[in-house]
Amino acid sequence: MTAADLADPPTEALAALQTYKQKDPLKVVVLFKAIGNAPILKQKFYKITAANRFQAVIQFLRRELGYKPGDPLFTYINNAFSPAPDDPVINLYKSFSTNDHLIVCYSTTAAWG
Amino acid sequence: MSAYGTTRHQSTVTGPYTTPASTILFRRLSWEGTVPLEIRVDSKELPDNSDRGLECYYIQAPRVAYLPLLLPSIKNYLMDVVFDETAGKTLKEEDWWFENEDGTLLKWHWPIGLIYDNHTISSKSLSNAAALADATAPLRIIMHLASPPADKLLMQPNPEACKQAFMGQMKEADFIRWGNTKRMTSIRKQEQDGMWEGVKDHNFDEYWRVASKIIPTTSPVRPQSPPPSSSVSMHTRPPSADGALPSDKDGAYNVRSVPVRIYLPDGPVLQDLVPPLLEDGSPHTLSRYLSHLIPLLFPPKPSTTTTAARPPLPASFPGGRPSTTPSASDARSSMAFALIQGVLAPGESEMAWLGACLTGADGWLNVCVGLRTDHR
Repeated sequence: MTAADLADPPTEALAALQTYKQKDPLKVVVLFKAIGNAPILKQKFYKITAANRFQAVIQFLRRELGYKPGDPLFTYINNAFSPAPDDPVINLYKSFSTNDHLIVCYSTTAAWG
Repeated sequence: MSAYGTTRHQSTVTGPYTTPASTILFRRLSWEGTVPLEIRVDSKELPDNSDRGLECYYIQAPRVAYLPLLLPSIKNYLMDVVFDETAGKTLKEEDWWFENEDGTLLKWHWPIGLIYDNHTISSKSLSNAAALADATAPLRIIMHLASPPADKLLMQPNPEACKQAFMGQMKEADFIRWGNTKRMTSIRKQEQDGMWEGVKDHNFDEYWRVASKIIPTTSPVRPQSPPPSSSVSMHTRPPSADGALPSDKDGAYNVRSVPVRIYLPDGPVLQDLVPPLLEDGSPHTLSRYLSHLIPLLFPPKPSTTTTAARPPLPASFPGGRPSTTPSASDARSSMAFALIQGVLAPGESEMAWLGACLTGADGWLNVCVGLRTDHR
Protein backbone atom coordinates (compact mmCIF):
# COMPACT_ATOMS: atom_id res chain seq x y z
CA MET A 1 0.00 0.00 0.00
CA THR A 2 1.44 3.37 -0.95
CA ALA A 3 1.10 6.67 0.85
CA ALA A 4 -1.46 7.79 -1.72
CA ASP A 5 -3.75 4.95 -0.68
CA LEU A 6 -3.92 6.37 2.82
CA ALA A 7 -4.78 9.87 1.72
CA ASP A 8 -8.03 11.44 2.82
CA PRO A 9 -10.81 11.51 0.26
CA PRO A 10 -11.14 14.94 -1.35
CA THR A 11 -12.98 17.57 0.68
CA GLU A 12 -15.59 17.82 -2.04
CA ALA A 13 -16.48 14.15 -1.64
CA LEU A 14 -16.58 14.39 2.15
CA ALA A 15 -18.86 17.42 1.93
CA ALA A 16 -21.12 15.55 -0.47
CA LEU A 17 -21.26 12.59 1.89
CA GLN A 18 -22.12 14.88 4.79
CA THR A 19 -25.14 16.15 2.85
CA TYR A 20 -26.55 12.65 2.71
CA LYS A 21 -25.91 12.03 6.40
CA GLN A 22 -28.09 14.91 7.53
CA LYS A 23 -31.30 13.75 9.12
CA ASP A 24 -34.32 14.69 7.13
CA PRO A 25 -36.86 16.44 9.40
CA LEU A 26 -39.68 15.16 7.17
CA LYS A 27 -42.59 13.47 8.91
CA VAL A 28 -44.75 10.80 7.34
CA VAL A 29 -48.17 9.43 8.25
CA VAL A 30 -48.35 5.94 9.70
CA LEU A 31 -51.68 4.12 9.81
CA PHE A 32 -51.95 1.45 12.52
CA LYS A 33 -54.27 -1.49 11.91
CA ALA A 34 -55.05 -4.12 14.54
CA ILE A 35 -55.14 -7.75 13.41
CA GLY A 36 -57.02 -10.56 15.17
CA ASN A 37 -57.70 -9.78 18.81
CA ALA A 38 -55.07 -7.07 19.16
CA PRO A 39 -56.50 -3.99 20.92
CA ILE A 40 -57.61 -1.17 18.63
CA LEU A 41 -56.07 2.27 19.11
CA LYS A 42 -58.37 5.29 19.56
CA GLN A 43 -56.29 7.20 17.10
CA LYS A 44 -55.12 5.36 14.01
CA PHE A 45 -53.07 7.94 12.13
CA TYR A 46 -49.82 9.28 13.54
CA LYS A 47 -47.15 11.55 12.13
CA ILE A 48 -43.73 10.04 12.68
CA THR A 49 -40.28 11.43 11.87
CA ALA A 50 -39.18 9.63 8.73
CA ALA A 51 -35.52 9.49 9.76
CA ASN A 52 -36.45 7.25 12.71
CA ARG A 53 -35.81 3.56 12.52
CA PHE A 54 -38.74 1.16 12.42
CA GLN A 55 -37.81 0.16 15.97
CA ALA A 56 -39.05 3.59 17.07
CA VAL A 57 -42.44 2.84 15.50
CA ILE A 58 -42.62 -0.46 17.40
CA GLN A 59 -41.70 1.29 20.66
CA PHE A 60 -44.25 4.02 20.04
CA LEU A 61 -46.95 1.45 19.39
CA ARG A 62 -46.05 -0.47 22.54
CA ARG A 63 -46.35 2.72 24.55
CA GLU A 64 -49.73 3.59 23.04
CA LEU A 65 -50.98 0.09 23.77
CA GLY A 66 -49.51 0.15 27.28
CA TYR A 67 -47.55 -3.03 26.59
CA LYS A 68 -44.67 -4.15 28.75
CA PRO A 69 -41.36 -5.12 27.12
CA GLY A 70 -42.10 -8.84 27.43
CA ASP A 71 -45.63 -8.73 25.96
CA PRO A 72 -45.77 -10.29 22.50
CA LEU A 73 -46.34 -7.83 19.67
CA PHE A 74 -45.79 -8.56 15.99
CA THR A 75 -45.72 -5.80 13.39
CA TYR A 76 -46.11 -6.06 9.65
CA ILE A 77 -46.07 -3.69 6.71
CA ASN A 78 -49.06 -4.00 4.37
CA ASN A 79 -50.22 -7.27 5.94
CA ALA A 80 -47.23 -8.86 4.30
CA PHE A 81 -43.86 -8.85 6.07
CA SER A 82 -41.92 -7.73 9.13
CA PRO A 83 -39.22 -5.20 8.30
CA ALA A 84 -35.85 -5.21 10.01
CA PRO A 85 -36.05 -3.04 13.14
CA ASP A 86 -33.20 -0.87 11.92
CA ASP A 87 -34.87 -0.05 8.60
CA PRO A 88 -35.37 3.72 8.43
CA VAL A 89 -39.06 4.65 8.24
CA ILE A 90 -38.33 6.82 5.19
CA ASN A 91 -37.12 3.77 3.24
CA LEU A 92 -40.25 1.80 4.10
CA TYR A 93 -42.41 4.79 3.27
CA LYS A 94 -40.79 5.31 -0.13
CA SER A 95 -41.16 1.66 -1.08
CA PHE A 96 -44.45 0.63 0.50
CA SER A 97 -46.71 3.58 1.23
CA THR A 98 -50.32 3.41 0.08
CA ASN A 99 -52.20 6.69 -0.50
CA ASP A 100 -49.42 8.53 1.36
CA HIS A 101 -49.75 6.28 4.41
CA LEU A 102 -47.40 3.63 5.68
CA ILE A 103 -49.72 0.86 6.83
CA VAL A 104 -48.43 -0.94 9.93
CA CYS A 105 -50.50 -3.94 11.05
CA TYR A 106 -49.99 -5.32 14.52
CA SER A 107 -50.92 -8.55 16.19
CA THR A 108 -50.38 -10.33 19.49
CA THR A 109 -49.64 -13.59 17.69
CA ALA A 110 -47.43 -14.31 14.67
CA ALA A 111 -49.63 -13.73 11.64
CA TRP A 112 -47.47 -13.81 8.52
CA GLY A 113 -44.36 -15.13 10.25
CA MET B 1 -12.65 -20.62 -12.83
CA SER B 2 -12.52 -24.18 -14.04
CA ALA B 3 -14.00 -25.33 -10.75
CA TYR B 4 -17.26 -23.70 -11.77
CA GLY B 5 -17.38 -25.35 -15.17
CA THR B 6 -20.08 -27.76 -14.06
CA THR B 7 -22.65 -24.98 -13.71
CA ARG B 8 -23.00 -25.00 -17.47
CA HIS B 9 -25.84 -27.47 -17.13
CA GLN B 10 -29.14 -26.55 -15.61
CA SER B 11 -29.72 -29.97 -14.13
CA THR B 12 -29.42 -29.25 -10.43
CA VAL B 13 -31.45 -26.07 -10.07
CA THR B 14 -34.94 -26.00 -11.43
CA GLY B 15 -37.74 -23.53 -11.03
CA PRO B 16 -40.50 -21.88 -13.00
CA TYR B 17 -37.86 -19.91 -14.87
CA THR B 18 -35.35 -21.13 -17.37
CA THR B 19 -32.16 -19.95 -15.81
CA PRO B 20 -29.39 -19.19 -18.30
CA ALA B 21 -26.02 -20.74 -17.55
CA SER B 22 -24.35 -17.37 -17.17
CA THR B 23 -26.86 -16.33 -14.52
CA ILE B 24 -26.19 -19.54 -12.61
CA LEU B 25 -22.47 -18.91 -12.93
CA PHE B 26 -22.70 -15.44 -11.38
CA ARG B 27 -25.04 -16.69 -8.69
CA ARG B 28 -22.55 -19.39 -7.84
CA LEU B 29 -19.62 -16.97 -7.83
CA SER B 30 -21.53 -14.73 -5.42
CA TRP B 31 -22.56 -17.68 -3.31
CA GLU B 32 -19.06 -19.14 -3.04
CA GLY B 33 -17.57 -15.78 -2.06
CA THR B 34 -15.92 -15.76 1.36
CA VAL B 35 -14.32 -13.09 3.54
CA PRO B 36 -11.46 -13.41 6.06
CA LEU B 37 -12.41 -12.78 9.69
CA GLU B 38 -10.26 -12.61 12.80
CA ILE B 39 -12.46 -13.15 15.84
CA ARG B 40 -10.75 -12.32 19.11
CA VAL B 41 -12.29 -12.89 22.51
CA ASP B 42 -12.23 -9.67 24.55
CA SER B 43 -9.19 -10.21 26.76
CA LYS B 44 -10.96 -8.67 29.76
CA GLU B 45 -13.66 -11.32 29.53
CA LEU B 46 -11.48 -14.40 29.12
CA PRO B 47 -12.28 -16.84 31.93
CA ASP B 48 -9.61 -17.88 34.42
CA ASN B 49 -7.18 -20.54 33.23
CA SER B 50 -7.75 -19.71 29.57
CA ASP B 51 -4.85 -20.36 27.28
CA ARG B 52 -3.99 -16.78 26.46
CA GLY B 53 -2.33 -16.04 23.19
CA LEU B 54 -4.63 -18.42 21.36
CA GLU B 55 -7.90 -16.53 21.85
CA CYS B 56 -8.09 -15.65 18.17
CA TYR B 57 -10.23 -17.62 15.77
CA TYR B 58 -9.63 -17.23 12.05
CA ILE B 59 -12.16 -18.18 9.43
CA GLN B 60 -12.92 -17.61 5.75
CA ALA B 61 -16.64 -17.08 6.28
CA PRO B 62 -19.22 -17.33 3.49
CA ARG B 63 -20.52 -13.92 2.44
CA VAL B 64 -24.09 -15.24 2.55
CA ALA B 65 -23.76 -16.49 6.16
CA TYR B 66 -24.65 -14.63 9.36
CA LEU B 67 -22.62 -14.19 12.54
CA PRO B 68 -24.93 -16.36 14.70
CA LEU B 69 -24.29 -19.23 12.29
CA LEU B 70 -20.57 -19.13 13.13
CA LEU B 71 -21.15 -19.64 16.84
CA PRO B 72 -20.93 -23.46 16.87
CA SER B 73 -17.54 -23.56 15.15
CA ILE B 74 -16.20 -20.69 17.27
CA LYS B 75 -17.39 -22.52 20.37
CA ASN B 76 -15.73 -25.77 19.32
CA TYR B 77 -12.46 -23.98 18.78
CA LEU B 78 -12.58 -22.16 22.11
CA MET B 79 -13.49 -25.32 24.01
CA ASP B 80 -10.70 -27.30 22.38
CA VAL B 81 -7.93 -24.79 22.64
CA VAL B 82 -8.62 -21.85 24.92
CA PHE B 83 -11.05 -22.56 27.75
CA ASP B 84 -10.64 -25.08 30.51
CA GLU B 85 -13.49 -27.42 31.41
CA THR B 86 -14.95 -25.29 34.17
CA ALA B 87 -15.16 -22.22 31.97
CA GLY B 88 -16.57 -24.28 29.12
CA LYS B 89 -19.46 -25.37 31.27
CA THR B 90 -20.46 -21.93 32.48
CA LEU B 91 -20.28 -19.99 29.24
CA LYS B 92 -23.41 -19.74 27.13
CA GLU B 93 -23.47 -18.99 23.40
CA GLU B 94 -26.68 -17.01 23.87
CA ASP B 95 -24.65 -14.34 25.65
CA TRP B 96 -22.06 -13.91 22.94
CA TRP B 97 -21.97 -10.87 20.68
CA PHE B 98 -19.61 -9.03 18.36
CA GLU B 99 -18.12 -5.60 17.79
CA ASN B 100 -15.52 -4.37 15.35
CA GLU B 101 -12.33 -2.71 16.56
CA ASP B 102 -13.93 0.74 16.61
CA GLY B 103 -16.55 -0.51 19.05
CA THR B 104 -19.31 -0.63 16.43
CA LEU B 105 -21.82 -3.32 17.18
CA LEU B 106 -22.00 -5.90 14.39
CA LYS B 107 -25.53 -6.72 13.34
CA TRP B 108 -26.77 -10.27 13.66
CA HIS B 109 -29.19 -9.89 10.80
CA TRP B 110 -26.71 -8.52 8.24
CA PRO B 111 -25.03 -11.01 5.91
CA ILE B 112 -21.33 -11.34 6.75
CA GLY B 113 -20.37 -10.16 3.26
CA LEU B 114 -22.30 -6.95 3.85
CA ILE B 115 -20.63 -6.41 7.23
CA TYR B 116 -17.27 -6.86 5.54
CA ASP B 117 -17.97 -4.54 2.59
CA ASN B 118 -19.54 -1.95 4.87
CA HIS B 119 -16.38 -1.99 6.96
CA THR B 120 -14.26 -1.63 3.82
CA ILE B 121 -16.03 1.54 2.69
CA SER B 122 -16.03 2.96 6.21
CA SER B 123 -12.35 2.46 6.95
CA LYS B 124 -10.20 5.14 5.42
CA SER B 125 -7.11 3.04 4.89
CA LEU B 126 -8.85 0.75 2.46
CA SER B 127 -11.10 3.12 0.62
CA ASN B 128 -8.81 3.39 -2.36
CA ALA B 129 -10.49 1.47 -5.10
CA ALA B 130 -7.21 0.13 -6.41
CA ALA B 131 -6.30 -1.33 -3.05
CA LEU B 132 -9.55 -3.28 -2.92
CA ALA B 133 -8.57 -5.72 -5.61
CA ASP B 134 -6.09 -7.53 -3.40
CA ALA B 135 -7.51 -6.66 -0.02
CA THR B 136 -6.97 -9.83 1.94
CA ALA B 137 -6.71 -8.29 5.39
CA PRO B 138 -9.12 -9.95 7.78
CA LEU B 139 -11.89 -7.96 9.37
CA ARG B 140 -10.95 -7.81 13.04
CA ILE B 141 -13.85 -8.65 15.29
CA ILE B 142 -14.01 -8.53 19.08
CA MET B 143 -16.20 -11.18 20.64
CA HIS B 144 -17.81 -10.59 24.00
CA LEU B 145 -18.90 -13.46 26.21
CA ALA B 146 -21.52 -11.76 28.37
CA SER B 147 -24.25 -9.10 28.59
CA PRO B 148 -25.41 -8.73 24.98
CA PRO B 149 -26.92 -5.24 24.50
CA ALA B 150 -30.37 -6.47 23.42
CA ASP B 151 -31.62 -2.92 22.83
CA LYS B 152 -28.93 -2.30 20.23
CA LEU B 153 -28.83 -5.75 18.64
CA LEU B 154 -32.58 -5.28 18.09
CA MET B 155 -33.17 -9.00 18.16
CA GLN B 156 -32.60 -12.05 20.29
CA PRO B 157 -29.04 -13.21 19.64
CA ASN B 158 -29.86 -16.70 18.45
CA PRO B 159 -30.06 -18.50 15.10
CA GLU B 160 -33.87 -18.77 15.25
CA ALA B 161 -34.31 -14.98 15.45
CA CYS B 162 -31.77 -14.68 12.65
CA LYS B 163 -33.86 -17.06 10.54
CA GLN B 164 -37.02 -15.02 11.18
CA ALA B 165 -35.21 -11.86 10.13
CA PHE B 166 -33.98 -13.63 6.99
CA MET B 167 -37.52 -14.70 6.08
CA GLY B 168 -38.74 -11.15 6.70
CA GLN B 169 -36.13 -9.83 4.30
CA MET B 170 -37.08 -12.42 1.67
CA LYS B 171 -40.71 -11.33 1.90
CA GLU B 172 -39.88 -7.64 1.83
CA ALA B 173 -37.78 -8.18 -1.30
CA ASP B 174 -40.64 -10.18 -2.85
CA PHE B 175 -43.05 -7.32 -2.10
CA ILE B 176 -40.64 -4.81 -3.66
CA ARG B 177 -40.47 -6.89 -6.84
CA TRP B 178 -44.14 -7.62 -7.36
CA GLY B 179 -46.21 -5.54 -4.96
CA ASN B 180 -47.22 -8.66 -3.03
CA THR B 181 -45.61 -11.65 -1.34
CA LYS B 182 -47.47 -14.35 -3.25
CA ARG B 183 -44.32 -16.05 -4.44
CA MET B 184 -43.03 -16.40 -0.90
CA THR B 185 -46.33 -17.39 0.67
CA SER B 186 -47.15 -19.91 -2.06
CA ILE B 187 -44.20 -22.13 -1.23
CA ARG B 188 -44.56 -24.57 1.63
CA LYS B 189 -43.01 -23.89 5.00
CA GLN B 190 -40.78 -26.91 4.51
CA GLU B 191 -39.36 -25.38 1.35
CA GLN B 192 -38.91 -21.99 3.01
CA ASP B 193 -36.97 -23.73 5.76
CA GLY B 194 -34.93 -25.46 3.05
CA MET B 195 -33.67 -22.10 1.86
CA TRP B 196 -32.47 -21.24 5.33
CA GLU B 197 -30.85 -24.67 5.66
CA GLY B 198 -29.06 -23.93 2.39
CA VAL B 199 -27.68 -20.72 3.88
CA LYS B 200 -26.70 -22.51 7.10
CA ASP B 201 -24.94 -25.32 5.27
CA HIS B 202 -23.55 -22.99 2.59
CA ASN B 203 -25.18 -25.30 0.06
CA PHE B 204 -25.79 -23.60 -3.28
CA ASP B 205 -28.11 -26.25 -4.74
CA GLU B 206 -30.20 -26.59 -1.60
CA TYR B 207 -30.76 -22.85 -1.44
CA TRP B 208 -31.39 -22.17 -5.13
CA ARG B 209 -33.69 -25.18 -5.54
CA VAL B 210 -36.27 -23.07 -3.71
CA ALA B 211 -34.93 -19.55 -4.18
CA SER B 212 -35.17 -19.83 -7.97
CA LYS B 213 -38.95 -19.86 -7.52
CA ILE B 214 -38.74 -16.46 -5.86
CA ILE B 215 -35.76 -14.56 -7.24
CA PRO B 216 -36.40 -13.85 -10.93
CA THR B 217 -33.89 -14.73 -13.55
CA THR B 218 -32.71 -12.95 -16.64
CA SER B 219 -34.38 -14.16 -19.77
CA PRO B 220 -32.23 -16.05 -22.27
CA VAL B 221 -33.22 -13.66 -25.07
CA ARG B 222 -31.62 -10.73 -23.32
CA PRO B 223 -27.92 -10.10 -23.06
CA GLN B 224 -26.94 -11.52 -19.69
CA SER B 225 -24.14 -9.27 -18.75
CA PRO B 226 -24.06 -5.70 -19.88
CA PRO B 227 -21.34 -5.73 -22.50
CA PRO B 228 -20.46 -2.10 -23.22
CA SER B 229 -20.71 -2.51 -26.98
CA SER B 230 -24.31 -3.74 -26.90
CA SER B 231 -25.78 -0.74 -25.12
CA VAL B 232 -26.66 1.01 -28.36
CA SER B 233 -28.66 -1.87 -29.75
CA MET B 234 -30.46 -2.33 -26.45
CA HIS B 235 -31.62 1.24 -26.42
CA THR B 236 -33.26 0.81 -29.79
CA ARG B 237 -35.05 -2.38 -28.79
CA PRO B 238 -38.00 -1.96 -26.46
CA PRO B 239 -38.66 -4.91 -24.16
CA SER B 240 -41.97 -5.69 -25.82
CA ALA B 241 -40.12 -6.52 -29.04
CA ASP B 242 -38.41 -9.48 -27.43
CA GLY B 243 -41.07 -11.95 -28.49
CA ALA B 244 -42.00 -12.56 -24.87
CA LEU B 245 -41.35 -16.05 -23.65
CA PRO B 246 -44.06 -17.52 -21.42
CA SER B 247 -41.95 -16.96 -18.34
CA ASP B 248 -40.73 -13.53 -19.37
CA LYS B 249 -43.42 -11.68 -17.45
CA ASP B 250 -41.90 -13.18 -14.30
CA GLY B 251 -38.41 -12.24 -15.39
CA ALA B 252 -35.92 -9.86 -13.83
CA TYR B 253 -36.68 -7.11 -16.35
CA ASN B 254 -40.41 -7.17 -15.58
CA VAL B 255 -40.38 -6.66 -11.84
CA ARG B 256 -42.02 -3.55 -10.41
CA SER B 257 -38.76 -2.66 -8.72
CA VAL B 258 -35.41 -4.29 -7.96
CA PRO B 259 -34.76 -4.73 -4.20
CA VAL B 260 -31.66 -2.57 -3.69
CA ARG B 261 -30.10 -0.94 -0.65
CA ILE B 262 -27.30 1.62 -0.89
CA TYR B 263 -24.88 1.81 2.05
CA LEU B 264 -22.84 4.97 2.60
CA PRO B 265 -19.65 5.11 4.74
CA ASP B 266 -20.50 5.11 8.47
CA GLY B 267 -23.87 6.29 7.48
CA PRO B 268 -27.32 5.99 6.22
CA VAL B 269 -28.83 3.16 4.24
CA LEU B 270 -30.79 4.44 1.25
CA GLN B 271 -33.62 2.61 -0.41
CA ASP B 272 -36.05 3.65 -3.09
CA LEU B 273 -38.00 2.08 -5.91
CA VAL B 274 -35.69 0.96 -8.72
CA PRO B 275 -37.59 0.10 -11.89
CA PRO B 276 -35.64 -2.33 -14.10
CA LEU B 277 -36.35 -0.31 -17.24
CA LEU B 278 -36.45 3.43 -17.83
CA GLU B 279 -39.37 5.18 -19.45
CA ASP B 280 -37.84 4.83 -22.89
CA GLY B 281 -37.56 1.06 -22.41
CA SER B 282 -33.81 1.02 -21.98
CA PRO B 283 -32.36 -0.86 -19.00
CA HIS B 284 -31.85 1.07 -15.78
CA THR B 285 -28.13 1.05 -15.02
CA LEU B 286 -26.18 1.35 -11.80
CA SER B 287 -24.60 4.68 -12.76
CA ARG B 288 -27.99 6.09 -13.73
CA TYR B 289 -29.49 5.03 -10.40
CA LEU B 290 -26.58 6.32 -8.32
CA SER B 291 -26.52 9.67 -10.11
CA HIS B 292 -30.25 9.95 -9.48
CA LEU B 293 -30.09 8.95 -5.80
CA ILE B 294 -26.79 10.54 -4.73
CA PRO B 295 -25.89 13.03 -7.49
CA LEU B 296 -23.30 14.84 -5.39
CA LEU B 297 -21.19 11.69 -5.27
CA PHE B 298 -22.04 10.45 -8.76
CA PRO B 299 -22.62 13.64 -10.78
CA PRO B 300 -24.86 12.97 -13.78
CA LYS B 301 -22.93 13.37 -16.99
CA PRO B 302 -24.33 16.06 -19.24
CA SER B 303 -25.68 14.36 -22.32
CA THR B 304 -24.16 15.22 -25.69
CA THR B 305 -27.63 15.90 -27.06
CA THR B 306 -28.28 18.78 -24.67
CA THR B 307 -26.88 22.10 -25.81
CA ALA B 308 -26.23 23.66 -22.43
CA ALA B 309 -24.28 21.68 -19.86
CA ARG B 310 -26.30 21.64 -16.68
CA PRO B 311 -24.74 21.43 -13.22
CA PRO B 312 -25.57 18.37 -11.11
CA LEU B 313 -29.00 18.73 -9.59
CA PRO B 314 -29.35 18.23 -5.85
CA ALA B 315 -31.88 15.53 -5.06
CA SER B 316 -33.37 14.30 -8.26
CA PHE B 317 -33.72 15.32 -11.83
CA PRO B 318 -36.71 15.27 -14.14
CA GLY B 319 -37.50 11.94 -15.69
CA GLY B 320 -37.46 13.53 -19.10
CA ARG B 321 -33.80 14.32 -18.95
CA PRO B 322 -31.72 12.28 -21.39
CA SER B 323 -30.06 9.28 -19.83
CA THR B 324 -26.48 9.46 -18.71
CA THR B 325 -23.87 7.86 -20.88
CA PRO B 326 -21.72 5.84 -18.51
CA SER B 327 -18.39 4.41 -19.50
CA ALA B 328 -15.34 3.06 -17.77
CA SER B 329 -13.70 6.47 -17.89
CA ASP B 330 -16.70 8.03 -16.16
CA ALA B 331 -16.35 5.54 -13.33
CA ARG B 332 -12.71 6.53 -12.91
CA SER B 333 -13.44 10.22 -12.75
CA SER B 334 -16.23 10.01 -10.17
CA MET B 335 -15.67 10.74 -6.51
CA ALA B 336 -17.05 7.45 -5.29
CA PHE B 337 -17.16 3.79 -6.22
CA ALA B 338 -19.71 1.02 -5.78
CA LEU B 339 -18.94 -2.37 -4.26
CA ILE B 340 -21.29 -5.29 -4.83
CA GLN B 341 -20.41 -8.64 -3.25
CA GLY B 342 -16.91 -7.24 -2.73
CA VAL B 343 -16.50 -6.48 -6.43
CA LEU B 344 -16.12 -3.02 -7.97
CA ALA B 345 -19.27 -2.77 -10.06
CA PRO B 346 -19.11 -1.09 -13.49
CA GLY B 347 -21.53 1.79 -13.90
CA GLU B 348 -23.11 0.26 -16.98
CA SER B 349 -24.30 -2.81 -15.03
CA GLU B 350 -28.04 -3.17 -15.43
CA MET B 351 -30.02 -3.08 -12.19
CA ALA B 352 -32.25 -5.99 -13.24
CA TRP B 353 -29.24 -8.12 -14.10
CA LEU B 354 -27.57 -7.26 -10.78
CA GLY B 355 -30.79 -8.15 -8.94
CA ALA B 356 -30.91 -11.54 -10.64
CA CYS B 357 -27.24 -12.47 -10.52
CA LEU B 358 -25.48 -10.70 -7.64
CA THR B 359 -28.29 -10.60 -5.11
CA GLY B 360 -27.64 -11.75 -1.55
CA ALA B 361 -29.26 -14.87 -0.15
CA ASP B 362 -31.97 -12.71 1.44
CA GLY B 363 -33.00 -11.44 -2.00
CA TRP B 364 -31.48 -7.98 -1.60
CA LEU B 365 -28.86 -6.35 -3.77
CA ASN B 366 -26.50 -4.56 -1.40
CA VAL B 367 -24.44 -1.75 -2.92
CA CYS B 368 -21.72 -0.30 -0.67
CA VAL B 369 -20.56 3.14 -1.80
CA GLY B 370 -17.06 4.26 -0.81
CA LEU B 371 -15.17 7.49 -1.44
CA ARG B 372 -12.18 7.41 -3.71
CA THR B 373 -8.93 8.76 -2.36
CA ASP B 374 -7.28 8.99 -5.77
CA HIS B 375 -9.80 11.39 -7.29
CA ARG B 376 -8.37 14.50 -8.83
